[in-house]
Amino acid sequence: MPVTPFPLSPLRLTRRDALIGGAASLLLPSLASAQTRLQITEGNVAPIPIAIPNFVAGTPADAEVGVGVTQVITNNLQRSGLFAPIDQAAYIEKIVNIDAAPQFQNWKTINAQALVTGRMTRQGDGRLKAEFRLWDVATAQQLTGQQYFTSPEYWRRIAHIISDQVYERLTGEKGYFDSRVVFVDETGAKERRVKRLALMDQDGANVRYMTRGADLVLTPRFSPSTQEITYMEFGQGDPRVYLLNIETGQREIVGNFPGMSFSPRFSPDGQRVIMSLQQGGNSNLFVMDLRSKSTTRLTDTPAIDTSPCYAPDGTRLCFESDRGGKPQIYVMPAAGGPAQRISFGEGTYSTPVWSPRGDYIAFTKQGGGQFSIGIMKPDGSGERILTSGFHNEGPTFAPNGRVLMFFRDPGGSGGPSLFTVDISGRNELRVPTPGFASDPAWSPLLS
Amino acid sequence: MKVDKTLVASVALHVLVIGWGLVSFSSKAFESAEVESVPVEFVTTDQLSKITAGIKSGKKENPKPLVEKVAEAKPVDDAVGKVTEKTAVTEAAPEPVQKPPEKPVEKKPDPPKPVAENKPKDEPKPVEKKPEPPKDDPIAEALKKDEAKKPVPKPEAKAAPQQPPKPKERTFDQSKIAALLDKRDPTRQSITGSALNSSASLGAPRGTAATMSQSELDALRARLTQLWNVQAGTERPEELIVDIHIRLTPDRRLAAPPEVVSHGSSPRYQAAADAAMRAVLQGQPYDMLRTETYEQWKDMIVTFDPRQMFRS
Repeated sequence: MPVTPFPLSPLRLTRRDALIGGAASLLLPSLASAQTRLQITEGNVAPIPIAIPNFVAGTPADAEVGVGVTQVITNNLQRSGLFAPIDQAAYIEKIVNIDAAPQFQNWKTINAQALVTGRMTRQGDGRLKAEFRLWDVATAQQLTGQQYFTSPEYWRRIAHIISDQVYERLTGEKGYFDSRVVFVDETGAKERRVKRLALMDQDGANVRYMTRGADLVLTPRFSPSTQEITYMEFGQGDPRVYLLNIETGQREIVGNFPGMSFSPRFSPDGQRVIMSLQQGGNSNLFVMDLRSKSTTRLTDTPAIDTSPCYAPDGTRLCFESDRGGKPQIYVMPAAGGPAQRISFGEGTYSTPVWSPRGDYIAFTKQGGGQFSIGIMKPDGSGERILTSGFHNEGPTFAPNGRVLMFFRDPGGSGGPSLFTVDISGRNELRVPTPGFASDPAWSPLLS
Repeated sequence: MKVDKTLVASVALHVLVIGWGLVSFSSKAFESAEVESVPVEFVTTDQLSKITAGIKSGKKENPKPLVEKVAEAKPVDDAVGKVTEKTAVTEAAPEPVQKPPEKPVEKKPDPPKPVAENKPKDEPKPVEKKPEPPKDDPIAEALKKDEAKKPVPKPEAKAAPQQPPKPKERTFDQSKIAALLDKRDPTRQSITGSALNSSASLGAPRGTAATMSQSELDALRARLTQLWNVQAGTERPEELIVDIHIRLTPDRRLAAPPEVVSHGSSPRYQAAADAAMRAVLQGQPYDMLRTETYEQWKDMIVTFDPRQMFRS
């Protein structure tokens, strides 16, 4: 059977086809021109390598103070755990003039990421001029630079202030080096310990004794003005809370309460002192206004409420109470009111301290034969233990809220010592003290 | 006439069902995304073993030329063409350049003859083609060699010493070729991804220029990870995300100081931006990056995001 081929229908719609064809030709293949994006989600957790050559001596007599300042700065930055000062023996270039830019290649070679140069110059009027510059080696830029005038005997404070400047610029956090620590210095045999109030720079230098040790002293605390300390002393009769002026050395009793008064602390504005008073079998929180001397009762429970600490904004306070059976941490409004429990772990919680940044409360936790220092958020969440052992107690925050100091008593015939640890749990270091030491309290920044 | 009720009902229902079918099934057909096709050839296992067995008497396969650079922008209408595609190369060999030829088209059927003639003519040619370094010639010649093997007659106007296919016809004079070679020191010219590609993009509307390989990206990431210094125990890492815009020269160094393109005002953010900047500066030269992918890495935004490191 013959097959008839079907003719194809003639092409119609030629104009439409032409249109489509024309439009298609406009669709030029275009390469994706998006910018390449790269995500780096992991880095190297390591201290910043920093080079701190000896400060230049403006006059030949300043060489010693130049070296001293450099050593204080190097020690501060190293102890913070966030910096790794490079050994001076490795330096290639010698800095003789801080006003000229350094040869950055020399510092890149030794892997320094930052460089501090400075100069000390004795002035004609007897004052000491201190200058410093902080350089970023990679970008070859000066990051910051300052000059200070001071009396020569305060050269250590200048070193601490410069350390704070370097710390702040490179980490973005406020510094804490220009501050002091008050503690209880203990000497003598364990059965007959002599306890004296002592004051020192945060790095252990410039130790001064504030009391003679005739009476037992406890829980010293700084006032926000940094010139006064409040503490407890077991004098004749009941223990009393005292106010001590650091500069004048004058002492006065804070109120005259019947019964024992414990664990005093200043309010953030320095106008009030909060403490716990024991009457009968229980102790409650009282606030005393330093000017009017009027007292206000804050808690009224049959339990032991003690160890109060204000939040840095003064609106709330945390304290320790065993109203629930075992000592736990509670938070309540500063003017008084219902208290809310925030600690819920295994063990007992005591000595709560509110961070100057307001973001954490540090505490002592006791459980399972161990004493631990930990932190938690003010709502009770995020509890983290920073160190454990026997026997850790009494945390106090550095002014920037990043470092904690506490004391540890190893037991036996020895005595307690002071330690610092970063709030991340890293970099636990011993603080050098002349003898045994306990009950530290960190002052606010002096500057 | 009596209307049959059942018939009416049946017709009505049929109309209903068919009508619904027409309506619901007339929606737009699903569109499938265009996929770049990859040329695939099926080979059975015994074919494979035969192919790979090899023949002792087989002639040496002329290796495909590896092109490192293009001498001039050849007007290829197909942005990425196979190197072995004859038509593209044929048209690309610019007529104007080859014009002075003396090469009649009929040269093709008679390969050996014009070779001798063309040899001397090769000399003036490199001189004329000023912008094109003579180094190209061996490559161009090799390309043409390839074509010469194909039996398809093509209108070509090329000078080409055709060697291996017809060894008897003439002796291949290496010294003459050597005379044509570029005496200059080898230079590395940068190339753009659009000019060279070894993979065909068949039928897809977008060609793929050379893209950065995963290993290249990983190596770059590893370099920056190693150099990026992050503080221990960083709080609120979400405030410290830093974007740095970098531009690189062909020798993998920074063309200009990197810019921080993210925003933040706190001192902590400033410190984080400094640390990210330091990492980028210290990473030079970024020698893990390939020259072919220069278009991809010459302009990048690197994001330093510490959140994963500090998940609490």
